[in-house]
Amino acid sequence: MTEEVWMGYLVDHCTNYTVVQSPFVLGEERVFGADSDATTLSVAAILHRLQHDAIASVAVPDGIDADTVSTACNVHVWDEESEAGPEWDLLLSEEAIIVLARPGADVEISVMDMAVEVDRPFHEAILTAWEMELNTLHVSQGAYVSQAQYVEAASSRLSLSGQIGANGPVWPPRYSAHGPVNGNGVHKLTPNGHVLSWTTLSAAGSPSEFSLRAPLLGGVSTVLLELTDGPNGVFLIVDDEEPELSMDAPMELVVRRIYAQEGFIRYGLKARPMSA
Amino acid sequence: MLALVAWVMVDVAVVGAGQTRYGNHALGLKGMWAEAARSAFSSIDGDFDVKSVDEAYIGSLAFGGAQLGNTAALLTEHSDMEGVPVRRVENACASSGFAFRDAWMAIKSGQADIVVAGGIEKMNDLTPERRRYWLGVSGDTEWERLAGLTFPGTYALMARRYFHEFDASHDDLVHVTVKNHLHGSLNPLAHIQKEVSFEKAASGFMVADPLTLYDCCPTSDGASCVVLAADHVAKRMTDTPVWVRGSGAASDHLALHDRPSITQLKATQTAGRKAYEMANLKPRDIDIAEVHDCFTIAEVLATEDLGFAERGHGGRFAREGQGVINQGSVAVNASGGLKSKGHPLGATGTGQVVEVFKQLRGQVESQRQVKDAEVGLTHNVGGSGATCAVHVFGRDRP
Repeated sequence: MTEEVWMGYLVDHCTNYTVVQSPFVLGEERVFGADSDATTLSVAAILHRLQHDAIASVAVPDGIDADTVSTACNVHVWDEESEAGPEWDLLLSEEAIIVLARPGADVEISVMDMAVEVDRPFHEAILTAWEMELNTLHVSQGAYVSQAQYVEAASSRLSLSGQIGANGPVWPPRYSAHGPVNGNGVHKLTPNGHVLSWTTLSAAGSPSEFSLRAPLLGGVSTVLLELTDGPNGVFLIVDDEEPELSMDAPMELVVRRIYAQEGFIRYGLKARPMSA
Repeated sequence: MLALVAWVMVDVAVVGAGQTRYGNHALGLKGMWAEAARSAFSSIDGDFDVKSVDEAYIGSLAFGGAQLGNTAALLTEHSDMEGVPVRRVENACASSGFAFRDAWMAIKSGQADIVVAGGIEKMNDLTPERRRYWLGVSGDTEWERLAGLTFPGTYALMARRYFHEFDASHDDLVHVTVKNHLHGSLNPLAHIQKEVSFEKAASGFMVADPLTLYDCCPTSDGASCVVLAADHVAKRMTDTPVWVRGSGAASDHLALHDRPSITQLKATQTAGRKAYEMANLKPRDIDIAEVHDCFTIAEVLATEDLGFAERGHGGRFAREGQGVINQGSVAVNASGGLKSKGHPLGATGTGQVVEVFKQLRGQVESQRQVKDAEVGLTHNVGGSGATCAVHVFGRDRP
């Protein structure tokens, strides 16, 4: 078994299973960070496993956004109608722990030393904010990115699908009156880069989509990255870390919640300092 | 053949210009527009009948949504211009800069002789939540806004990068603040008519680091209106027309991350070059420039992109006070700029023309008057630089 920090989470890697745990605890219980959930932990688990094994299919239980998992990881989500069983199962826990296991694997969830105690009032306030944001009756006054528009760009947002243009990779993808520029097909960019600039907007100055959580988080932090493959992009900093940023600092992109509207969570890539 | 020659030769003048005071206005859209139009029409000292207006272009983001559709028709109805062909022009904060350009083109094309261009925005009657919604709608919503950016954040990214690439610091931005508040304190139509000390401006509340509250323009209500005329009718409308010597406009990627550089605005450079070429003038010929300082870093970049300072020297330009009225090489934002005069989004572009019109006619308050001003420039930017209109004006006919 190997243990490591991966995409901001704690990972146990064994031959037949991968356990991903949130680093945050409330008393004795592992809890999700401010923009994490079972879906984001699942994405981390699959991407970690993909470093070692090909994954033909994954069974995704209720409580995990299968579309996000599939798009972010480029894996096939197992269909109950199919004759063959899944190659891997995603297993939920009552705590902020996800297991990706081969069916029938004997899983042991180890107690990991690393634990960041969270402030209970903060944690409860964030949970309440997400609950309100997710309520279908809550209609944000923010600019509208419809579910259809989000889905159209989901593979670019979750897995950096871009294009190959005349001068190299292009991201986000572009349209042209002469047709898409991706004459060479879809190109997946490497999810890391270095800092070109950054800022933290005060809660009062941040977009109103974030109005319920920004005051709790002390504003909204954004970084402009030059991706390793060339294009630039702007990304939120993960909500549960406060990194000391500097010019040219290496950063990695990980899947987290962005915001919710009309009962639908928009996930996307956020930036955090590159894991050692 | 004769008709073609006449079309080529037509020159365009601004013959009247006026605006409301900018700020937290008691009047709504209809009342503010009527006040700006009345101010513009009454500034015409010769023959003018509002019924002779051929076309009208009114810039507005329709902030707040009080009258999203057919805004322009509502406004002409309340300024005695019923029946005039009118439309709303929307290019974010550059809306009325482009409305002015459209008006100029209508006359240049020979299809109109007298045209009204203006702009308006009502921003202070909203709840904070609604206001924030509108402040962030002109960037790339899908990518920038979902990355947490509104314009303070976008310009903050530019500022931090500028400090990294060049010999500049936040102190340079503070000099912009101090200058524009000084100018604005002398302008009775400005939103903020108050000087600010360097120390106070350097220690403002952090809005989007490194930009503080003093780096940001206020949220203003206001309207502005100008009347343009073809040369053959301008001479009976006034003895002191202000001629449009050059007009340039351009666009750029909407999103900051799609641009090769975030420390220069390509749209400004292109629009400026076109306007200078048409006017057959150089940056050194400009006596007064109203530039788009929605944030202090924007003025620093504008002074470079418009050629008043070399690339990377905009900070030094501010530090040395080169934009101060009657002190430096060119008076930059003698009105107080967006920073102090205010920024009612749709009204800003033609509001800049109002200032240059009055300056070139020697009609502003004596302390604010740029001595011997012969040539002026306006620079109006949409969003973080996706659209830009630049105009050059002169007392002399082209």
